[in-house]
Amino acid sequence: MKTVCLILLLFFFVPAYGDDIRSPVRFGLTAVVVTENLRFLDQWSEYLSEKMGRKVEFVLRRSYQEVMDLLDSGNLEFAWICGYPFVQSREPETIQLLSVPEYRGKPLYHSYIIVPQNSPVKNLSELEGKVFAFSDPDSNSGFLYPLSLMTAQDKKPESFFRQTFFTFNHAETVQAVSEQFADGGAVDSYIWEYLAIVKPEITEKTRIINTSPSFGFPPIVSRVGVNSTTMQQMKSILENMDDDIAGKALLAQLKLDGFGQYSDSLYSGIKVMVNKVQKVDFNLNGLPSH
Amino acid sequence: MSIIKPKSWPLAIKLSLTITAVVTVVGFMIGTVMHWQNWNRFHEVLGEKAILLSESIAITSPTAMIRKDFWSLYQSLKNMSSRKDGHSTHEIINAMILDAEGKVQAHLNPAKNPMGLLFTPTTDTEEVLFNQAMNARVPMVLSSGGYSSRGFLEGVVPLFSDQKYLGVVRVRLSVAQLYERAWYSAFIVISLTFCFVIIGSVLGTLISRRMVNPLTAVTLGLEAVGRGEMTDFAPIPVKQQDEIGRLSATFNQIMSELAEKKMLEEEMAMSEKLVALGRITAGVAHEVNNPLAGLLNCIDTLRKHPDDKELIDRYLPVIDQGLHRIKEIVHNLLVGLKIEEGDERVSIDHIDKLHDLMIAEIGDRDIDIVWDNSADKNLQIPGKLEQITCNLLKNAFEILTENGTITFRMYQREIYLIIEVSDNGPGIPSSIKNQLFDPFFTTKPNGTGLGLWIVYRLVHNMEGVIEVRSEIDQGTTFYVAVPVISKKAA
Repeated sequence: MKTVCLILLLFFFVPAYGDDIRSPVRFGLTAVVVTENLRFLDQWSEYLSEKMGRKVEFVLRRSYQEVMDLLDSGNLEFAWICGYPFVQSREPETIQLLSVPEYRGKPLYHSYIIVPQNSPVKNLSELEGKVFAFSDPDSNSGFLYPLSLMTAQDKKPESFFRQTFFTFNHAETVQAVSEQFADGGAVDSYIWEYLAIVKPEITEKTRIINTSPSFGFPPIVSRVGVNSTTMQQMKSILENMDDDIAGKALLAQLKLDGFGQYSDSLYSGIKVMVNKVQKVDFNLNGLPSH
Repeated sequence: MSIIKPKSWPLAIKLSLTITAVVTVVGFMIGTVMHWQNWNRFHEVLGEKAILLSESIAITSPTAMIRKDFWSLYQSLKNMSSRKDGHSTHEIINAMILDAEGKVQAHLNPAKNPMGLLFTPTTDTEEVLFNQAMNARVPMVLSSGGYSSRGFLEGVVPLFSDQKYLGVVRVRLSVAQLYERAWYSAFIVISLTFCFVIIGSVLGTLISRRMVNPLTAVTLGLEAVGRGEMTDFAPIPVKQQDEIGRLSATFNQIMSELAEKKMLEEEMAMSEKLVALGRITAGVAHEVNNPLAGLLNCIDTLRKHPDDKELIDRYLPVIDQGLHRIKEIVHNLLVGLKIEEGDERVSIDHIDKLHDLMIAEIGDRDIDIVWDNSADKNLQIPGKLEQITCNLLKNAFEILTENGTITFRMYQREIYLIIEVSDNGPGIPSSIKNQLFDPFFTTKPNGTGLGLWIVYRLVHNMEGVIEVRSEIDQGTTFYVAVPVISKKAA
């Protein structure tokens, strides 16, 4: 009888995995959003914490891969990632779509191929033998899309460009092109437009020579295994941010209209592109080894 | 005092100027040395800074170069150039990372120095520096050379990974700040030197005046001595016991003694005057009293025998002679005592007329007279020289007996007219030489003893000199030198 009581006590006091309400909710951020403004991130985390009734922490890492690794290892509950890692197949699946940001009324964005403002280059072909800046090897707009363009022309980046490098940050890709360190670069249209508002002196030194078709906006995902209540709570908070003044102010700073619920099919375009590119063997300088 | 003749400047000014000059030269020498040391120190510090900055880049560069992480290399250069190092800012005018072949891995000016291409020096100097940098295997500082605010110092640090040479980091710092600091340092040094010069000048002036004041007082005192003003001299305050203090004290003592001596001399002169007056009075009394006694006797005898014609004929000439002698004595005294009166000038001919007068006076006596007047015939001489010459000639004439010779010579030496009257008489014994010019002193039976006294007083009154050279049985010569031309006219 004593043994049965002890087992029952242990059963009640051992918390379920990932559902410890005393621990903070960890929210990973990648270069899909400009993370330089730490004060804004504090305001946003305070907002989410207040709504959640739990502390929400933003976790920043240099590359998408590092954030994905944290998700896989259970060290993050939520993350704002790119569509490219979202569509990559994992066995077993570790993430699920939570919510999608809405930009200019739609859950869509583009990839911009940019060159310095004074560059004579008009299209990607003219960048042959030049220096090209990619944003992140796991970025759709900053890597996958230009790679797909090259694949379509049956060209390999390592031989097409004189030098390539990764900045691991869309904003820094814009900077590299604007300062003519790179002769061209591929960036997230949302980041470029965001910078065009907050740092026009940088984007004014760049020129867009190619705009990709629409892609699903980098999504907010939750780790598989996160308590459904927590997940629903976060989803509800994000998707109702445009209902209150504080939320609207934060969205205004993010230059977003809000967050909405969309299906995974929003990213099918990226998935198709991934399948095409993966058939081509490529080896780029500076590809980080994790 | 003439401004263009520094030798005539007062000692106080020369001393203060010398102190000022010494302070200025020393100040500028110290300033120059300090400035030069500052410059070298700034230069050294800037070089060290360039090396440090290059080394800070070199720490992470090898890994990034191996990984071809060009963006990190560029970012590290950018971060370094935009970093503010506390209060001191360093102006990075250029920075680059080159690989072992000299290809640009990152450059602060990527537009002109594209990544992945060979770095191309644009000038000969750049070519030399590029070669030096590429050959550097240890950290070193390269310089643009020369002295220009547009120059630079370059910190060069070679990059190695596992002893394999990967390339080089070059960080170039402008020396403009060095010049700015050097100018500031020079400004401070010049300002301090200027302050020292002013303080030194003021102190120099004060010290030199303090030192020279006693000397000035001594000089003024000596000038007063020259003018004969010794009694109203204020003693120089003696504040120090140094050489100048001792000089002042000695000078005060000398002045005090001189003043005392002058007072004694004045007292003695007064005593001598009183003695002379007494002697004159006694002489007058004696000389007048002698004939008076005879005269009174004659008058008394005549009063007793008023009808004795023989007595009258015998005593009247004696009375006449006695009264004339008294008259002569009184006249000569008056002449001697009133010599200050009259300053008329006469032609030199008046002297030559005395020659004729003497010839007449000699008459049949066997006395020769030699006359030599070589003075300028147009010369105007003081009238009293006539009386001086007359008295000397008469004196010679009266001393001679037979076979005598009187020699008269008159000539000019510079501003002086010289008169020499010689005789070949018995000479003057040395025992009475000192009394020659005393009033009423005479060796002649009928002499009044006033002739040479008058000569002496007249010569001194004319600021002249009289000398006597005499030898027993050889004769006597009187020399008289009287200025006849004013010193200014000379």
